[in-house]
Amino acid sequence: MPSKDKVLEEVTRTENIDIDAALDPAEPDGVFRDSRECAALALQSGGTNLLLSPPTPRPKKG
Amino acid sequence: MEQSSTSALLQGTVLDLASDVVSALRSGDHVRAGSTLTGGGAGEGVARAAVRVLGADTLLPSVLLRIPPDPGQLAVFKDAVAAHPPRDEAAPTVVWSHWAMTRALRRAEQPLTTPPADEPDAEPDARWLDGAGWQFLTHQLAVLAPLALPGEECAVTRVARSRPVDVARGFVRAVRRRDWQQAAGAGRWLTLLDGVPDTLGLEAGLDFVRLMGGSDPRVALQLEAARLMPAGVLL
Amino acid sequence: MNVREIEAAALDWVWAHRDRFALGDDALAADGQVNRTWKPLGELTQVCASVARCTPPGDPLHTRVCELLDFAWQQTHRGELFPLMQTLEPFATYPLEVYAAFASAGLRHPGYEASAAVLTRTRGWRLTEQYPTRRLGVLEAERRSGIDPHGDVPRALGRTWLGGLPEPWTFERAAGYALTHVVFHLTDWGRTTRGVPADLADYLLHWLPPWLDTCLDARMWDLSCELLAVAASLPRPPEPAVLKDAWQRVAAAQTTSGAIPEEGAAQDAAGADPGEDPYDFTDCYHSTLMAAFAAALATAAAARPPDVRHAARHAGQGAPG
Repeated sequence: MPSKDKVLEEVTRTENIDIDAALDPAEPDGVFRDSRECAALALQSGGTNLLLSPPTPRPKKG
Repeated sequence: MEQSSTSALLQGTVLDLASDVVSALRSGDHVRAGSTLTGGGAGEGVARAAVRVLGADTLLPSVLLRIPPDPGQLAVFKDAVAAHPPRDEAAPTVVWSHWAMTRALRRAEQPLTTPPADEPDAEPDARWLDGAGWQFLTHQLAVLAPLALPGEECAVTRVARSRPVDVARGFVRAVRRRDWQQAAGAGRWLTLLDGVPDTLGLEAGLDFVRLMGGSDPRVALQLEAARLMPAGVLL
Repeated sequence: MNVREIEAAALDWVWAHRDRFALGDDALAADGQVNRTWKPLGELTQVCASVARCTPPGDPLHTRVCELLDFAWQQTHRGELFPLMQTLEPFATYPLEVYAAFASAGLRHPGYEASAAVLTRTRGWRLTEQYPTRRLGVLEAERRSGIDPHGDVPRALGRTWLGGLPEPWTFERAAGYALTHVVFHLTDWGRTTRGVPADLADYLLHWLPPWLDTCLDARMWDLSCELLAVAASLPRPPEPAVLKDAWQRVAAAQTTSGAIPEEGAAQDAAGADPGEDPYDFTDCYHSTLMAAFAAALATAAAARPPDVRHAARHAGQGAPG
């Protein structure tokens, strides 16, 4: 069975490993994402379709 | 104890501690900086380790706001310095962060004791930064952001002062990479350097880093330090 | 790593794939895809014109690009397609922009230039709604085609992203492509480094390194090559270490056939064992052209003394190389 001192030493060693990693961190990978292009609202799209265009008129009831 | 859970506990305590420092820097109330350490939430060993990781910045409120540190907090800080000396083959940032703590401790204690009889702590060398590329330089400086203090004079600050454009480039790179911690640390250094190109737009840049990454207390801490830096007078 | 080898390999790929730049029937068709016909041909022409200027007669690379210029000019029926395009789409700017690339190589069609001048005098042409960078390009196309530019360059420059000296950390892909083209237009595609105003040159010397580094990191090879071309178009070059590192990373992305993919996604699609010529034409032609262009400018810039008038203005910091 390990002695109390041995356990303490182990804990300290573990802490030191964690501490060294925190004090000498590797650089994280870069995260890159660019703005997307969205055509202006209500700009002509695909020849005929309009964004935010009024709904197609429906025949009135009745 | 499993290493991963030690690590998670340590990391959480570092974040709590950083939050305390941010609150203190924002409110000017240094006592609040001690709540994680004096509140009994974390075990003694973990608290000590967390102070070692946050480093000299644990005492930043007393340095920048020019108020004496809380005695209980100072005692934990002193324990952390003694309990976690750098190992023989430790990386330069580990050695330097420990040196920064011993210097902060001496400055904090000086008013309380008679002038120290012993000679100042031997300063480590900064040879590992000789000829360093601007990317590596900025990363290392950001890790050693606790050394970025008004009036601080050491080998690392001399290197930083000689390369303002490179640190500014590193800031741009860090923002592009969305590495907010590095960006905030580099930004803190830049507030101290002469010769930073005006076109960098540092003030707007720091606001941007706060907007994007300020929810991380370690990022917020650097930004608060940068905010107080121009007004701060050391010693 | 040798920049000239990257250039030679890229031009080998272009030569081997020159048929893909040929104009097909859809070049004149109302529903033809201009970006797949005229645009690649114009880009081929511009790059070859620049490489021809950067290499001495007798150099094998010079001979090669002159042959490619011949090939491209033949595609336009020795310029005859330009007046034809004009009758079909009189107010389109792209035919003039493509023509300007030929004109800069000395391949001209006087009849087209005269009729284009009629159109560029209209208010409608002057008011064509475009991105500021594109507007600058049209002005330069007019000048290169012997036409009085419809507006002034400093004013057009002031409306571009680069011209406003923005915070460099706001750089993104779109801003990057806009700024590289501003420099291409100001310098006549690397020909006159004096075309870059001193404040822009200082600004670019400061910030090209982090832009290059992050674009390379993101595997944006195409934009990286354009940024390297910008670096070689300045009155004073960036630090050698910055360029050496960037060229090494570009070289690593080049396949044995000489192709360089536009972005990392094409490399992912090609898999771990991509073979000699793994990319679709559309995924690599532009970046391969830009690599040849940047390498030619870089090789020529290395042989030329820095412009002393601008060198004195550069705010250095004595950074170790």
